[in-house]
Amino acid sequence: MKRWRYLLGKIGWAFFTILFVLVLNFFLFRVLPGDPARAGVHDPRLKKEAVEAIRVRYGLDKPVINCFESLNPIKVGSCGVNPLETQFFIYIGNLLKGELGISYHSNRPVADVLLERLWNTVILIGAGQILAVIVGVIFGVFAAWKARTNVDYGALIISLIAWSLPTFWLGIILLFWGSNNGLPIGGMQTPGMSSQPFFVRFGDVLSHMLLPTLTYTIVYMGEYMLIMRSSLLDVLSEDYILTAKAKGLNTFQILKDHALKNAMLPLVTVIAINLGFTMAGAVQIESVFSWPGLGGAIYEAVNRRDFPVLQGAFLLIAVGVIVANLLADLTYSYLDPRVQTE
Amino acid sequence: MPDPTSPSPTSRFMDFWRVFRRNRMGLAGLVMLVVIVFVAVFADAIAPYDVQSSIDVTTSDIYNPPSAQHWLGTDDAGKDVFSNFIFGARVSLTVGFFAAFISIFIGGVIGIVAGFFGGRIENIFMRFTDIMLVIPDLPLMIVIMALTKKPSLINVIFVIGLLGWTTTARIVRSQTLAVKSRKFVLRARAIGAGKGHIIRRHILPLVMPILVVNAVLVVSLAILNESTLSFLGLGDPTALSWGQMLNYAFGRGAMSTGAWWALVTPGFGIVWVVLGLTLFGHGLEQVLNPRLETHHLMRPLPIVKNDATGQPLLHSTGERVALLKPILLRADSLSISYINDGTRPARAVENVSFTLREGELLGLVGESGCGKTTLMLGLLRLLPAAGQIVNGEVWFGDKELTALTEEEMEDVRWKGISIIFQGAMNALNPVRTVGDQIAEAIVKHDATMKGDALTARVIELLDLVGIAADHKEHYPHQYSGGMRQRAMIAMALACNPKVVIADEPTTALDVMIQAQVLELLDSLRKKLGLSIIFVTHDLGVVAEMCDSVLVMYGGVTAEYSDVDTIYNNPRHPYTQELLKAFPDLSHPEKRLTSIPGYPPKLDELPAGCRFAPRCPLVFERCRVEEPKVISVGERHMASCHLLEEDE
Amino acid sequence: MRKIFALVMILAFALAACGQAGGGGGTVRIGWGGSPDTLNPGAAILTEAYTIFELVYDSMYELNLDGSYTLSLAETVNRSSDGLTYTYKLREGVKFHDGKTLTAADVAFTYNFYKAHEDFPYLNAYTGYLESVEATDDYTVVVTLNEAIPNIESQLVFMYVLPEHIWAQHAEGAAATEFENVEMIGSGPFKMTEYKPNEFVHLTANKDHFARPPKVAEVFFQTYESQDVLVQALKSGDVDMITEMPATAVEALKSDPNIKVVTGAPFAPGVSDIIFNQVSPENCPTDAGGICTGHPALRDRNVRLALAHATNKQKLIDVVLLGYGTPGLTLIPDGLGMWFNSTIKDYSYDVAEANKILDEAGYKDADGDGIRDMPDGSRPLTFRMQWPSDSIDAPRQAELLAEMWMEVGVKAELAAMDPDALTAACCPAFDFDIILWGWGSDPDPNLLLGVHTTAEIPNGYNETGYSNPEYDALYDQQATELDLQKRIALVHQMQQIVFDDVVYIIPYYEQAIQAYRVDRFTGWLTDYPKVELSDVSSLVVIEAVK
Repeated sequence: MKRWRYLLGKIGWAFFTILFVLVLNFFLFRVLPGDPARAGVHDPRLKKEAVEAIRVRYGLDKPVINCFESLNPIKVGSCGVNPLETQFFIYIGNLLKGELGISYHSNRPVADVLLERLWNTVILIGAGQILAVIVGVIFGVFAAWKARTNVDYGALIISLIAWSLPTFWLGIILLFWGSNNGLPIGGMQTPGMSSQPFFVRFGDVLSHMLLPTLTYTIVYMGEYMLIMRSSLLDVLSEDYILTAKAKGLNTFQILKDHALKNAMLPLVTVIAINLGFTMAGAVQIESVFSWPGLGGAIYEAVNRRDFPVLQGAFLLIAVGVIVANLLADLTYSYLDPRVQTE
Repeated sequence: MPDPTSPSPTSRFMDFWRVFRRNRMGLAGLVMLVVIVFVAVFADAIAPYDVQSSIDVTTSDIYNPPSAQHWLGTDDAGKDVFSNFIFGARVSLTVGFFAAFISIFIGGVIGIVAGFFGGRIENIFMRFTDIMLVIPDLPLMIVIMALTKKPSLINVIFVIGLLGWTTTARIVRSQTLAVKSRKFVLRARAIGAGKGHIIRRHILPLVMPILVVNAVLVVSLAILNESTLSFLGLGDPTALSWGQMLNYAFGRGAMSTGAWWALVTPGFGIVWVVLGLTLFGHGLEQVLNPRLETHHLMRPLPIVKNDATGQPLLHSTGERVALLKPILLRADSLSISYINDGTRPARAVENVSFTLREGELLGLVGESGCGKTTLMLGLLRLLPAAGQIVNGEVWFGDKELTALTEEEMEDVRWKGISIIFQGAMNALNPVRTVGDQIAEAIVKHDATMKGDALTARVIELLDLVGIAADHKEHYPHQYSGGMRQRAMIAMALACNPKVVIADEPTTALDVMIQAQVLELLDSLRKKLGLSIIFVTHDLGVVAEMCDSVLVMYGGVTAEYSDVDTIYNNPRHPYTQELLKAFPDLSHPEKRLTSIPGYPPKLDELPAGCRFAPRCPLVFERCRVEEPKVISVGERHMASCHLLEEDE
Repeated sequence: MRKIFALVMILAFALAACGQAGGGGGTVRIGWGGSPDTLNPGAAILTEAYTIFELVYDSMYELNLDGSYTLSLAETVNRSSDGLTYTYKLREGVKFHDGKTLTAADVAFTYNFYKAHEDFPYLNAYTGYLESVEATDDYTVVVTLNEAIPNIESQLVFMYVLPEHIWAQHAEGAAATEFENVEMIGSGPFKMTEYKPNEFVHLTANKDHFARPPKVAEVFFQTYESQDVLVQALKSGDVDMITEMPATAVEALKSDPNIKVVTGAPFAPGVSDIIFNQVSPENCPTDAGGICTGHPALRDRNVRLALAHATNKQKLIDVVLLGYGTPGLTLIPDGLGMWFNSTIKDYSYDVAEANKILDEAGYKDADGDGIRDMPDGSRPLTFRMQWPSDSIDAPRQAELLAEMWMEVGVKAELAAMDPDALTAACCPAFDFDIILWGWGSDPDPNLLLGVHTTAEIPNGYNETGYSNPEYDALYDQQATELDLQKRIALVHQMQQIVFDDVVYIIPYYEQAIQAYRVDRFTGWLTDYPKVELSDVSSLVVIEAVK
């Protein structure tokens, strides 16, 4: 019963956050400079009539909200407008219908644009995160186990250096290295592979993933190592580890059966919280390696003032992070029996 | 009104410095930072070229490799990369520090206000913080950067600063919450001090250390963020930060030209500063928020045998146990020290000898910090990493435990000697069921036990301590305190050990439960014929249950004899004082006296007798010479100069 | 850990190697920096999209690499004596990629379709002169103009002929722009096979093309996010040709025996310009949102002239472009061939002359701070100099300009600006002093000549606020002058006028730099006045190296 209330509270809060992001999203992109109808085009061939027609097509001729014609620059308009005729409510209405709008840049539905790129990012971030967690945990376990020895200092310094590397810079260096060693350096597949058998295409994507994933892994493993190290240090100094040792268990058994699961608990939360931050890595890695993912889409959309795509991407990421946090809470409550009854 | 208990800032700083100096990583980080700050401040003097001018550049000057004129080559505009690097330090550090200042200010205010005022304000603030965490920071930064219209340095600083406060707010809030409930803050509130005053005088100083550690992290994040923004073309191209250098290099073909120097140099700068900051921060954290960083799996220190200073061991055993019974466990002149870097070894146990016969219950008595637990852990070689057996032998049957390998020792543990820890809450793994943890011990020492037999044995053990079988599927937190202790006892009996060490098994329990647990122990001992070492400071329990008593003080044997002798004829002044502090049921009118003072710190032992500073009968010799453990009667040993004089 | 990683690498390589065996032969891989925004010609904005349209569609005329036009879909054209009616006789038997025949009806449908949609950003603009388009029989198209114009070719060259049987159902309203056109049925030398936005475009040869069946089997355009990476991809052989690269890398690439670098005027010529705000508060187009905060000194031709003398264009070209550019004169670039007035003599780089001009015009340094002041002493000659923040070359150019102009006592305050914010500040707001920006040109000079006209001030395309009735009259005249030589003379005269008035300083015309691997394909068209290796004329003639 308590557990359900706990869950409902979490879900309610997630819902509220999404709502807030929805609203924030809308206004954020309405105060940005520039006329989205022109989408960065400065050319006499783009006639005034065309601009006007484009504005109408995207509904930008309507007032933003009651009393405001536009937010950038702020133009006060009439307040008696039918709310349903304002951009804000049209935006909300479309969202309720599951529509994220039409991209200014490609005229395609934003949901299509984002979905095809979302998967690419999920693949990249997924592989990168998993590797970073694995490597980080292994390093962290060794560092904590061999605390205050050279193994520990070595792992610590490697992790701190890895953490200090600017993502894009590491990407550039690896790209340079990779291109001299015959690794593919751009995109996520060799074009024209669609007729090839699956395993060939899979291998092709895998080889394209190597460098970006490696970059990702190096940059994020440091943090996981540090968390794992400190968490495991805490756990290993707990009394129940002494109990386990007194029971005659050897080091390996103690680590495996008593320390790791307990020490991994904080990591679950951190991985979920990190998801938002990992998008920063995705933006950089994808732009260095021409990876056709969400991060690249965001960056391009900013440059092109493709507001519907940006809005959609922000919403998608926010929802992703919220869901991930929810999942982390759930996982946590399964992993740690103490949470269930709280 | 200055707080009289807080030392002056300078001395506090000196204290800090003394500790910090020993932290090699922190010190390395500090040196790295000092170097780069020096470079940034004196850029004009250090840089060989003026980076402002490119008027004399010709096509042949662009992307020149490192040479005598240009140590790190030239960039895409023919400028000296080394000079750019030096001036870039100035810009990058400026951005880093100012942006971090903004972040920390906002985060600090939000954190303190939320933590201090609580209620609705806290709710709103922290929810807002959560939302900010949900929105991806870099994309948001990119969008807001576009919003500012001009990518000037000031705008970059503000954008980074305004978005980087969330972690600070969370950390500061939780620290404020922790500090808020401390006594002196409550007292200040009670006497009606203003909120501003309390925050300024009481909260802030305690939040500060955490804020400083956090600040180091925020600065490094700000520098990384600036470089990322610059790289994405959103920085200020007129302020040549390291990130901007990378932007020019990557945007204008450094890689395809092969001009690695233009790419590597600024990246090196960023890594240098960020690494310096993180190392420094790591060091700061270790100093301000010290953790032992030791744990139970660290490689133990090697056992050494110094010159034996011990005396011949005289076996002492209470009358309740027939002298005929064979000796199970014998400690012989056991000495244990704690070795810490830079401080004198703490002689936690010195020259302690005792024997334990089959079926005997030995009480180990003394105040906290007298080395009782160390002695017990030493027997099983479970000492913390700093603990070292520096002398003596432990005989268990025909095995000398200090000479066994770690693997051989694992077989002795639990099967030969098991241990009941104090505070079973922490001694049981919270994420595994109790039954599981008991079964684990059984399986470890008897691999043939599995399936139903194993389950049956677990149930049998639980039944033995009066816990219903279905509780075996429960987690420790679902048990009450007494149940946990009983489960611990069941676990200790899992492998039918010959010796059970009970290390203050009832300390954390309330009186009723204490009695139950003791009764259980006593009955089990009789039922199973266990030999038990019972560590306690409760003399009543000792009198009631034990056969013999070892009184320890400051790591040494004060007195060792059978229980009747100890109670009826205590010879050591410490034993006598202890007994005075113990309610004598036969003389209830006698006033209880407690011994003034505290046991000595084990790393600052007095020169002579360790009890001398508190001894009512102290005389000159006590302060200069350590007394030896001598026989003061049949099966009765003690260490006191008075007793020697008696002889 | 190392072992596992190495294993993954080997596995990936092995699998990737299997994959590459499938391509080979006649597969051209082209690396480029962008990706088409859409395959719908009506809605497209980016040049990458137009590159693909050129390959997949045919139009009435073909623009050659030498800047001339030839008939493509039409065999003959007949112009009426009044110049208002053009009768095109189409080739017979031209097939769309889906096998349907291309007829006059398709052409008429296409032109009317482009004309009907005002929200088509570019192609609609070319329909301004079209009065009506009719298919009088299966192979005859009659185009009637509302005004006689000299450059019908440049109006029709980008009007890609679409199959009516596909587009008819998407012809109305928003559907016309939202139609994604992924099948992209055209009649051109290449067929659309697969399009992955921001990844690649896969085209296969249309061996049945009436005029130019390609020799290669297929073409890939692969997107790389930066020019640096493009060069690496070319070096490592991931691609056979790249359409752009940084000038700095040219020397390094030239030493690679497998790579040939091609430089020259770009097919779509670009102009880099220094924009002076010459609008006075009295003439401010306030109705269009004018703010007009320009520095008064910039309205004085003497100041602009002095700055022109103080600008070392060759230095800018050397540092910013490593020499891969030609000094500019006016907005009409040398890449426009006959339209470019090569007789104009550029202002000499002469600091003394510049100082003299300013001295004589009364701009003395009154307060001795090294910066000249207005003749009335009201304010120093300190100008805001801004550029769009998405340009990596502009800040380098700005640094140099600031240094050069400082020599004559003129100070520039440098700032990058968000491109959209800069557009908003630029025009018709005229809330700036100096902007560093540029134009892309049409093959016909009409477009960029129009930028200087008074009529474009409120539209925001006249960025300087320059207004000269004589120039405006000449502009109208050239727009309807049917005699080519006379029109050229007019166009040249107009260039002289804006040059003399120092409306802009044009630092340079940037050259295109492309490169290809000589060990893969041969026959790239490189000895034309313009460089565009990805142009259809090049891609249909290259063949694999044996």
